[in-house]
Formats: sequence, structure tokens, C-alpha cells
Amino acid sequence: MADTPTLLTGETKAGDWRNYERVILPPIKDLHKIEVYEDHGGYDALRAVVKDGKFDPKGLTDEVKASGLRGRGGAGFSTGLKWSFMPPVDPEKPRYLCCNGDESEPGTFKDRQIFEYNPHLMIEGIVLACYAMTIKTCYLYIRGEYIDYVHHVQKAVDEAYAKGYVGKNVLGTDFSTDIVVHWGAGAYICGEETSLMNSLEGKRAYPRIKPPFPAQAGCWGMPTTINNVETLADVPLIVNRGAEWFASIGPEKHTGPVLYGISGHVNRPGVYEYPTGMLITDLLEIAGGARGGKRIKAVVPGGSSTPPLTWDMAEPATMDAETLREAGSSMGTAGLCFLDEDTDMVSFTRRIAHFYHHESCGQCTPCRDGTGWLEKLLTRIDEGEGYTRDLGLLLELCDQMEGRTVCALADAAAWPVRWGIRRFRDEFEAKCKAAAFAGASLGDGSALETGELTPTGTPTT
Amino acid sequence: MTPNSFISPQPAYVPGEPVERHVADEELVWTEDEQQQIAAFRAQYPTHDGAVMKGLWLAQDKFGWLPPEVIQFVAETLEIPYAKVYGVATFYTQYFKEQKGQFVLDVCTCFSCQVCGGYDILHYLEDQLGITKGETTDGGLFTIQEAECLGACGSAPMLQVTNGPYVHNLTTEKVDALLADLRAGNMPGFQSVTLPQDEDELGGNRRSDTDAVTTYQTPPVSETLH
Ligand SMILES: Cc1cc2nc3c(=O)[nH]c(=O)nc-3n(C[C@H](O)[C@H](O)[C@H](O)COP(=O)(O)O)c2cc1C
Ligand code: SF4
Ligand code: FES
Repeated sequence: MADTPTLLTGETKAGDWRNYERVILPPIKDLHKIEVYEDHGGYDALRAVVKDGKFDPKGLTDEVKASGLRGRGGAGFSTGLKWSFMPPVDPEKPRYLCCNGDESEPGTFKDRQIFEYNPHLMIEGIVLACYAMTIKTCYLYIRGEYIDYVHHVQKAVDEAYAKGYVGKNVLGTDFSTDIVVHWGAGAYICGEETSLMNSLEGKRAYPRIKPPFPAQAGCWGMPTTINNVETLADVPLIVNRGAEWFASIGPEKHTGPVLYGISGHVNRPGVYEYPTGMLITDLLEIAGGARGGKRIKAVVPGGSSTPPLTWDMAEPATMDAETLREAGSSMGTAGLCFLDEDTDMVSFTRRIAHFYHHESCGQCTPCRDGTGWLEKLLTRIDEGEGYTRDLGLLLELCDQMEGRTVCALADAAAWPVRWGIRRFRDEFEAKCKAAAFAGASLGDGSALETGELTPTGTPTT
Repeated sequence: MTPNSFISPQPAYVPGEPVERHVADEELVWTEDEQQQIAAFRAQYPTHDGAVMKGLWLAQDKFGWLPPEVIQFVAETLEIPYAKVYGVATFYTQYFKEQKGQFVLDVCTCFSCQVCGGYDILHYLEDQLGITKGETTDGGLFTIQEAECLGACGSAPMLQVTNGPYVHNLTTEKVDALLADLRAGNMPGFQSVTLPQDEDELGGNRRSDTDAVTTYQTPPVSETLH
């Protein structure tokens, strides 16, 4: 609407971020050790809530709701609200929490740092979440490739058990909860919430049709809540410092500290902790600027499934859900990939399409076949064998994939292609052959080869 | 194309002749310690099926890969149908349904690694070992595979050795050193990747029990490749 003020102001919404004090990964040596963690106020939040009654379960859920915490796993849903969807306790029915550490979205590598550097924060968050929803078992799902990190986390969990923070009668109260560490075996789709549940149950990791939502029927058909690792790691911070403190960080509608995973053509890639609402340009500056003094051409702001932004679009944008939506992308997992002027957007998009084709679970035809066609068409364009008409075909294919499948993987595959073509059309066209379709006259009396099949199966003559 | 994990390898089967076996019946036994682990896994889930992934991992660690008789063995141990276990084993890429080299080099060429020279590393490795991705060297020492994002995009390009340690910030020199180490039978150890903010605030690695690499000290592998 014309009279809505724009969020793309080009000004930071992260406040005084240059003096920001890290809280998820504070600068403390050996924080992964339980003694060090305890020395720095670790498990105080748990003690205050479970033992000293700072909050009852409902109070804790309300506090998390008030903090404005939104899921860090990609969808950005309000965490407190999600918790409140759990049905009332039924003693006949076990309830589960899943902590989603599958982290397979290309460009995302933040949860790994929590496993490695501050696992107890996550564990404390898990136990608090279990308390808030009266859950007795949490499955912590870590991707199989992170096997070394699984060992780090298992060690931390064992330490927490030994000290009575997890297990039977947490801190001597009558509240008990268990944490089971589970690891995958290499499948991106296990990050999708219902697929993760099937994987846990020992089935093939096919996503399920929703509804029913996990809160009604999740793991083993029981009420289940699923949260990302970073989301749960924020919970002890909220308890310790209060919802108000959390809500005061970053823009009003998307609050709190975030781990930004910065990769691509920058001098200092890595995970950075800052408030939400950071300007993309500031993040580039922090990451040491573009490698080799090059110009940045494009940014993927939140993992491979978020639409790429041209640099012009990215310059006024900040890293929060609302602003990025207006800018034409989304926050995703806050894994930014900067691409410099030499990047070939066609091969880049082709490689993303290959990823989704490889990772499609194969349940739904639009996804299983669609991702394959995306890859085939992009490959042929990339190899100089495509026609300008193929771009239209690709966009049509995206229309046929989005919103027509069991899970969002098909959408995630279509977006980078759709928006890649829309925003970098020149580059795509430059790689396409001149004729509109095979067999068309090239004007000089010659015709291109004929007889090749298009994805619709019609010969192109 | 990467070897397709969804297509299940069939044991060579000629009607009337016995199916090719890779593991003898006498070898298909769990040790006392492994039995305890399996019992512990089972206790962690409300159904037997839940333990299937951990069971398959245990079997793969023991036998190196998962031929049908090993899958059958896991199925019998957990008292669940073979078809179910087989379905799980074939769903995931990290379960080896065919025999691989002693060291499987999973080179990430996805997304950030692609634009930071992942393919350069892959092709360099292929040249050095004289095989292409998906293949195993003659002596059965190395297999090269093209991997999807392994969650270490900040230290791209990178690879993983046999579902185990990550090797970050690859250069051709690092690849040479890695191959030499592996030939000598030395697996790389675990390495932390320092956080750039820790460099400024903590002076480097925050863990005193691990070696660390700094992501941005490595020059790009190739200035030209994107
Ligand atoms: C294809 C697909 C892959 C996903 N992968 C992940 C993942 O690796 N890690 C994650 O935390 N969430 C992932 N999600 C999002 C989860 O489904 C879920 O929304 C999230 O774990 C909820 O946690 P949150 O509310 O704390 O963000 C994925 C979603 C889809 C559709
Ligand atoms: S959209 Fe794709 S990944 Fe998701 S359930 Fe359907 S086929 Fe599987
Ligand atoms: S893109 Fe290679 S590790 Fe993520």
C-alpha cells in the first residue's frame, strides 16, 4: 500500500550493535565444560524455575511468548505460541519434545557451533521447554554427518545427567525428564518436522500430511513439539534476563540475538552473534568485506531456499522477517551467502536445483519430477544448450510445484529458481540460444536441430 | 551424477545359483559389548523400530558396509521385518549399500563450497587418485564422492573422511597432506573452527581440548572458478 511506511530504510534495526555483548556464545573459554558453564551462571535458570518456582509451566510459556522469540529453524513461528498448542496433560499419553539439530540447509552451520561451544545452554533450554509443556522425553536429532559433534553433545548430556539437571527428579524435585540423543544418516529431508518424527520412529523419513499437526499427533502419534537447537538455547537467557530484555533486542516483531552464518565471497566467513535487524551491509563489513576487493552482486540471506537478492535489493534491507519479506526474500536460517561479481548465477542456481533433486524424498510427483526437470533444464541452459523459451518453462514448472506437495521442500526448490531467473534474467538469457525454440528459423535460412523432447513430451519441431 | 542412493543395489542373482555373500554366517554375531549397546538403544525408544538407525550404524561400523545379509542380521536382532530395515538402509546416503574404499572422501560441492572452489578440490582429488567421483581406487583405499552441504559452509571448501572428521579450508596442499596422512593410516583428528568474534575477544580457539583452524586464513583455491 502506498501509505505504508517502508521497512527498507537502509538503517539498522539492531540498535547499538557495535557494543553488543554475546549471550549465546559468550567469550568464555571452555564453556562446553559443565563446571565452567556453572561458574558463569549455568543452570541457574533451571534452578530458578524448577526448584524455586519462578514460573509455573504456563507462566514460563507466557514469558517465552512475551519475549517475542520466533523459531530459528526457518519458519520463524512464535515459540511461545507453538508451546501453547500442546493439549492438556493426559496421563495416559506420553508427550515428546524434538530438538531439531538436523541443520542441512545449504549455507547453514550455526547449530554446529552450539553443539561444539555451548551445548549446556541448549540442554538447559531443552529441560526448561520440557518443564513448560510437562514433557518427559526429549529426542535431540542431530544430522549423521555431525558424528563428532554428536559425541561432544552426548558427553555434555551425560555430565548434565550426573549433576542431576536431567533425568529422574531434576534437582531433587518431582519433575523428571530424559534427553535421548539421536543421529541421522544423511538426508536433508529429516529436518522437516514430520519427516524427523518418522525418522525417529525408525521409518523411512517421509514427511506426513498436516493436519494433524505434531501438537496433536507427532512422534508415535503422541502430542509433540519441535523446536530448533538455537530456539531452545534462547530459553534460559529469557528466564535469566527476562522477556523484556529479550524483546528489547532488535526490531519489535522479530526479537533477540541471532547466530548469523556468513559464507561465500567474504574475507572472514563464520558464525557471528548479533541482534536481529542487522543491515546486510553491516554484516558484510563485519565479515571483512568482499574477497579480493570485488563487488558483491548477490546475497542469499537465509540458506539456499530463500530467494537470492541483488545487491541493490539487499543494501537497504535488514535481517528480520518483516523487512526481508518486503525486500523480496525471507529470513530462513540466517545463513547468508555473499556472491561476488564473478559468480555465474546460472551454475549457482543449477547446483541448488541439483541439491533439491538429490534430497527430494520422492513422495509427491510435483516435487520428485519437478526438481528433476528443474535440474535438467538448468543444466542444459548452463551448458549452452538451452533456449530462451526454457526460462518460461522453468517458471511454469515452479508454478506447478509450489504449494502442491506434502512438505515445503518443493517450494524451497522452486523459489531460488523462480527468483534467480526473475532477478538475474540477463545472465540466464546470455547463456540461452538465440532461437525461441528448437527448429525455429534463425533468420539466415538455417534451422536448429529438431526432434528433441521437451519436458512436456512434445517434440520440438 | 552422484550414485543414486534411492536405487538399491541388488545382490548378483542368477536363478538356481546361491546369492553372492560377503559376510559369512560365523561373522554375523554381536560381541557382548555390542549386545549391551543394542539393549541400551532399544530402551531409548518406545518401539523396537526406533533403534533401527543406531543398529544399522553399529553394523556398518562393524562390517564396513551393509550387504543384504548384514541388514538381515540387524532385522533379526531388533525383531523387525527385513523389508523395513532395508527401506531405512536405502533411504539414507550415509549407509553404504555397496562396498567402498577404506577412506571415503566426501567432497562438498554444494552452494557455498561451489562458489569457494569445491569443484576445484573435487577435480584435483580425481586427478591425484586417477578416478572420478563415485569410484574407488584399485587397492580399495580411496573412494571419492560428491557431497551435499555438510554444514561447514564458513570453512568452505571442505570434505569429510568416511562419515567422520571434517577437513576444513581445503587447498591443493592440504589435500596432498591429507592423502599422505591417510596412506600412512592416520585419520585426521577433530578440528574446531574458530569464531571470528572469538579471534577479537578471546584471542582464538575457545576450546582448550581441540586444535583449531581459522576460517579466513586460507586463500581462495582458484581466483577464476565460481
Ligand atoms: C525441507 C525442510 C527442511 C528443514 N530443515 C530444517 C533443519 O535442518 N533444521 C531446523 O531446525 N528446521 C528445519 N526445518 C524447519 C522445521 O520443519 C521446523 O519448522 C523447525 O524445526 C521448527 O523449529 P522452530 O520453530 O524452532 O524454528 C525444515 C523444514 C523443511 C520444510
Ligand atoms: S515435497 Fe518433496 S520432499 Fe516433501 S514430501 Fe513431497 S516429495 Fe517429499
Ligand atoms: S556448502 Fe559445503 S559445507 Fe555447506
